[in-house]
Amino acid sequence: MAITGRFVLLAFAALAALLLIPAWGTVLLAAAALLALVLGDVLMAASPAKIALQRKDPRNVTLHADTESVLTLENRNRRTFRAMVRDAWQPSAGAVAPVQRLKIPAGERRRMSVVLKPTRRGDLAAPHVTLRSFGPLGLAARQRTVVLPGRLRVLPPFNSKRHLPSKLRKLRELDGKAAVQIRGAGTEFDSLRDYVRGDDVRSIDWRATARRTAVVVRTWRPERDRRVVIMLDTSRTAAARIDDEPRLDTGIEAALLLAVLAERGGDRVDFFAFDRRVRGRVDSAAKGNLLGSLVQAMAPLGAELIEMDWAAIPAQVRAISAHRSLVVLLTSLDSGAPEEGLIPLVAQLVRQHTVLLGSVRDPLLGRMKKERTTASQVFRASAAERALLDREAVSAQLRQLGAEVVDAEPLELPPLLADAYIRLKAAGRL
Amino acid sequence: MTADVQAARWSLRLRAWSRRHMAWIIIGTIVAALGVVTVAQSPSNPDTASLSAGNAAPDGAMAAAEILRRQGVTVTPSDSFAATTSLLAGKPRATVLVYDRNGYLDSAQLHTLQKSAGRLVVVAPGYRTLAGLSRQIRNAGVVPNGTSTLEAGCGQTDATVAGRISVKGALLYKGADVTCYRPSNNDGGVYAASADGRLVILGSTALLSNDLLQVEGNAALALRTLGPTQDLVWYLPGLSDVPNDGRPPTLDELAPPWVGFLGLWVAVVALLAVLWRGRRLGPLVFEPLPVVVKAVETAEGRARLYQDSRAVGQAADNLRAGTLTRLAKHFRLGPEAPANAVLEAVSRKVNHPARELRMVLLDHRPRTESELVHWAQRIETLEQEATAP
Repeated sequence: MAITGRFVLLAFAALAALLLIPAWGTVLLAAAALLALVLGDVLMAASPAKIALQRKDPRNVTLHADTESVLTLENRNRRTFRAMVRDAWQPSAGAVAPVQRLKIPAGERRRMSVVLKPTRRGDLAAPHVTLRSFGPLGLAARQRTVVLPGRLRVLPPFNSKRHLPSKLRKLRELDGKAAVQIRGAGTEFDSLRDYVRGDDVRSIDWRATARRTAVVVRTWRPERDRRVVIMLDTSRTAAARIDDEPRLDTGIEAALLLAVLAERGGDRVDFFAFDRRVRGRVDSAAKGNLLGSLVQAMAPLGAELIEMDWAAIPAQVRAISAHRSLVVLLTSLDSGAPEEGLIPLVAQLVRQHTVLLGSVRDPLLGRMKKERTTASQVFRASAAERALLDREAVSAQLRQLGAEVVDAEPLELPPLLADAYIRLKAAGRL
Repeated sequence: MTADVQAARWSLRLRAWSRRHMAWIIIGTIVAALGVVTVAQSPSNPDTASLSAGNAAPDGAMAAAEILRRQGVTVTPSDSFAATTSLLAGKPRATVLVYDRNGYLDSAQLHTLQKSAGRLVVVAPGYRTLAGLSRQIRNAGVVPNGTSTLEAGCGQTDATVAGRISVKGALLYKGADVTCYRPSNNDGGVYAASADGRLVILGSTALLSNDLLQVEGNAALALRTLGPTQDLVWYLPGLSDVPNDGRPPTLDELAPPWVGFLGLWVAVVALLAVLWRGRRLGPLVFEPLPVVVKAVETAEGRARLYQDSRAVGQAADNLRAGTLTRLAKHFRLGPEAPANAVLEAVSRKVNHPARELRMVLLDHRPRTESELVHWAQRIETLEQEATAP
């Protein structure tokens, strides 16, 4: 039950009658007339209970793109349904016109579409739909809220894909070059081709040259079908905001770029998100589009406010790949006591695998370090210096163990991590 | 059968509604109960008028009235002129106590009172009241500051028997025949009476009030003045006694008849507007908000710790270590490079003797915050010079 602005105006207009004949009788008469009008209008309104609702879930969408949620309403009353319909999406779904006026003649159906411009990654929900059915006079309405869950999955934006072309070019340049630098195990003979100026003379295949008139060189190609295992940390440290973006989202960007690059490089990519248990997982054995299944797995991830279980990671990696692989850990270097968690883990992993560690550094620390005008600023600079030194110490310790460390600011991390991968591949260390 | 089902459905709905709004029902009940208790507990119309016969507060006069009652005097309180005159019609010899603090009574009413009463005792009358009562008795100022008691000093029996009374802040009156309790150098007194004793003026409210009744001879004077007759009418004039002819019309009479309805109806429309705007289109949808953790929070916390404990030395060590590490990296000396090697590299770059640089970079230990700020800026400049291309 609800009244409308028209009814309030009507009540206000009744004041004129009251001014002309100021008596209690007029008051009662006006009140009775208004009451009768409201009740009559409510009784004449189409019942919202007899509206059949159907929701078509919007398609998956990347962050900051548009999509459309469609509701179908069927009027099973014997009266025309004049209504205000609200498709109740949660605020971050960014519904443009969630409340719309509809007029559906008896027995017909209408579609109501709501444009969504989501502002958050993840699964966004619309728990219910509210119908407000007005009477023919438009004075009062019947209202009903129908539970009709809808869901919109907003995928990570993959902004770092703009780095992809340049990194792919770099990767292609590896073909035929890698072997020149490192002769030995792990490189594969590819083919023979004519010598062109600039080729390393050490790669000339004299046997083949003798059979022909032109000089022939051997080309090599980098190893293929290596395994890359990406671990994304979703523990409490991933919730920290750096440059107005959670550390987790930066990690997702980096993981996407690396995974796509490694797939194009012919390697097999496995992904898992972990804190104390596996939050998301993509298998290299699965068929289909890797990028698609990755974004699907990453979309609902959120930072959990619990401590990382470092000791459980080796078992997870072993379950994914029994062979030597490149294990990429996307985590943070300043998570409490790295001596107790991260460093023993890396020490254990490097025995069997190549370990690449990616971590987001806060650009604010660099700015804090440079401001030295007042005493409190100098103390802040000193504290920032200490934090950076501590990170540096942990990175040095990890490098000493044989792991690769990429510690970079949010925008830099994905390309630098990709570079590290290309470097490792060129060096035949996968 | 269908009626049963319908009834069951309605009762179910009612139960669901009451369960959903249980919090509001409980809050409403509590508020209503509190309201009832407050109304029930508030004392019903307490008597707070000063010198009232029913007021037990310090400025009341319940004590004097009670004593008179026990002595056999019939004390009848009255708060309106009409009641007083009708009382007096039955008891023509009664004494009337009048305490008209705000001067409500006009001269005609005072004359009527004077005519119908056996005796009239007036407490602290103002100029207008006194003028309406008698031409013989005049106002004569107030008791001078510093005089707190006075002796009777006259031949009036009541006054001489009562003796000394407290007169602080009392008004003075000069009677043609009887004037008692005169301060020195003044011809007015606190007690004045007409020659026949039918009009008595008491200049002090303290003579009757509960808190000062027992002081000096106050009680004796008050009781003797009020007690000689069988009946005493205790009359405190109120606002209703003001003669109301010729007064300006009230707002109510001036307004046209529809104004009352206008207010009522506008209130109703306002309520309807509230209902119209206040009705929500379905329940709110929740947004699970993420935790916001600033990543530099730990560094900032540490900075505050340094500052609160004035850890100047520690702060300087951090800055020094950071600078040396970056310089070592810039000159590609390796992470384990000794400080002296860094120093030499810097001195070669900036063309400064290594000993001077050593003073700045390694040996200086700032002791105060201002020294620290100064030194921090200095090594930053030095670092910029050394790493400049």
